[in-house]
Amino acid sequence: MATVTIRNVWKYYGETPAVKDLNITCPDGSFVSILGPSGCGKSSTMRMIAGLEHISSGDILFDEQRVNDLAPKDRDVAMVFENYALYPHKSVYENIANPLRLRGASESTVKERVEGAAKLLEISHLLGRRPHELSGGQKQRVAIGRAIVREPKLFLFDEPIAHLDAKLRAHMRGEIKHLQRTLGTTMIYVTHDQLEALSMADYIAVMHDGELQQWGTPSEIFNNPVNAWVAGFVGEPAMNFLTCGIKGEGDGVSLMHKNFEIPLLPGQVRQLNGAAQTGVARMGVRPDAMSISMTRPSEAAIRGEIFVNELLGGDMLVEVELDDCRIRVKTTPEFAGKPGETCYLTVNRDKWHVFDAGDGHAYF
Amino acid sequence: MASRDVVSYDTPLSRALSIFGTVFVAFYLVWTLLPFVVMFVSSFKDMLEAFKLPVVGDWAGMTVFFDFSPTLKHYTTLFTENSFGTYIMNSLIAAGGSAVISVIFGSLAAYSLSRVDFRGKQDLFFWIISTRMAPVVAVMVPLYAIFRSLDLVGTLPGLILAYTTFNLPFAIWMLKGFFDNVPYAIEEAQMVDGATRFEAFRSILPLVAPGIGAFVVLCVLFAWNDFLFAAIIGSGGAKTLPVATRELVQPQNIQWGSIMAAGVVTTAPMMLLGLVIRKYLVAGLTMGAVKE
Repeated sequence: MATVTIRNVWKYYGETPAVKDLNITCPDGSFVSILGPSGCGKSSTMRMIAGLEHISSGDILFDEQRVNDLAPKDRDVAMVFENYALYPHKSVYENIANPLRLRGASESTVKERVEGAAKLLEISHLLGRRPHELSGGQKQRVAIGRAIVREPKLFLFDEPIAHLDAKLRAHMRGEIKHLQRTLGTTMIYVTHDQLEALSMADYIAVMHDGELQQWGTPSEIFNNPVNAWVAGFVGEPAMNFLTCGIKGEGDGVSLMHKNFEIPLLPGQVRQLNGAAQTGVARMGVRPDAMSISMTRPSEAAIRGEIFVNELLGGDMLVEVELDDCRIRVKTTPEFAGKPGETCYLTVNRDKWHVFDAGDGHAYF
Repeated sequence: MASRDVVSYDTPLSRALSIFGTVFVAFYLVWTLLPFVVMFVSSFKDMLEAFKLPVVGDWAGMTVFFDFSPTLKHYTTLFTENSFGTYIMNSLIAAGGSAVISVIFGSLAAYSLSRVDFRGKQDLFFWIISTRMAPVVAVMVPLYAIFRSLDLVGTLPGLILAYTTFNLPFAIWMLKGFFDNVPYAIEEAQMVDGATRFEAFRSILPLVAPGIGAFVVLCVLFAWNDFLFAAIIGSGGAKTLPVATRELVQPQNIQWGSIMAAGVVTTAPMMLLGLVIRKYLVAGLTMGAVKE
């Protein structure tokens, strides 16, 4: 159990910075996900926490203790690797027992703890096997077993379920989250899958190009992204972006586009402060924050042409062609529009976002 | 090793090639095995019987080769009149010693080259291999001078050192490939689990065991069969089997029987070794080369 503080941390590989001035505090017992695309510095961050990489500058603290100069074995962390990193020549039992043996635990403790961990992960029947005789999901459980058997201060999970098939991944998400709740140990979980982060974490740190973009709870990240990049990365299907002009003054400000003109809600006008009022902005709207209809519901509706319909089981995703772009909207499978037909989109203005056209920061 | 059934269909050409192949292999087997058969059989023959040859063209006379009363006297001579017991020990110590030393230093160096990035790594690696590029003969004279001034000529440590000089670069080069194929994450997992760097290194040794095994065999073979070093650097105090065999050729008489027996004594252990570990050897040699 530990609070992990990352303070002004930089990581350079040669001249290239991989992590830039990172500041994160992971509260004791929380489940923190570091989310970002490949190459964003999330794995480097995790490896610095584990002690597998040197910290170029800055500090990492476990509670009050600075761990920069501690070897991995002295940090009391447990890590699950993306490729599981099981010892191929050892049985499952010995794999799980390894951290205990390295710390000189007695044979009775080893037996008790390994069997306890195996029971928790439902792999008791596999203890005699070798890793090559296991399926991906089983290997992953063994790797988790190896991590939990020691009861460390901190769990580090590096994309542990990235290589599993979709169904098993969904199952393991729940299991890992439940496990963390049960054990109550601080967990840092690196992933590029925004769904994993949203569904599992207490807090998410979104990283891009080595920089922390946003820190917050999953709902904050999803509902109030700080910039267009976060907004576009989180959420599936992805948010639609449209470059719009801003027209009007006072309370009557609206977003202008070839296909539409939509007024802002009164509160939103203030948030879109004076600086942007004459220029352009990027409108962001998630596919589920719009409704689609075949008849014009109001003057503010966006007129477009249906490009393609994708049935996603319980939902239907309709791609609508505007004059200069396509946007996607989520609707029900009963939607009757056919490709080529004219349709109208109504934006839920409580759920839309406007970003700066230049640096992409969010006005609301 | 993944191998699969290759689908093939007979054509006249493929049939002809397969017949040709069979004939070729048959000749090849005779060509390679006959010397060993002659050596083995002659070592049990008396001199007179050994030189009994059929007339050219007399194929029925072939039986003369197998018409003899077996005797072990050549073997007895080797171990009583000549001290072949000592020579076998010398060969074993020289070959084994150099193999062990090469494996220890070779695996440490190969591991470092595989895992640690440092300035000049590529140059160092090339330099290590390049020591094997010059033919042994080219460096023999300077090497002899160095060994003589260090009083190592004619001693077993000298011979071990000489073999190690040539085996170690080979060990580093070969074992590096094996270490490269072991995922680094396994060591990282070990270190996070509580191992020191050295313990992590030790923990992956079982994974490169086929490579180490294959290398030990090649190393032992090199030293065991070597004549040049043994004759020049080991001469006198550290006589090995090939040199001792050579000395059975004396100006006044060539002891063919003993030479044949010595040949069997020299060859048999390596052949047995080869038979015992051949699966291991092939797996080891290909594992380093092909990523699985």
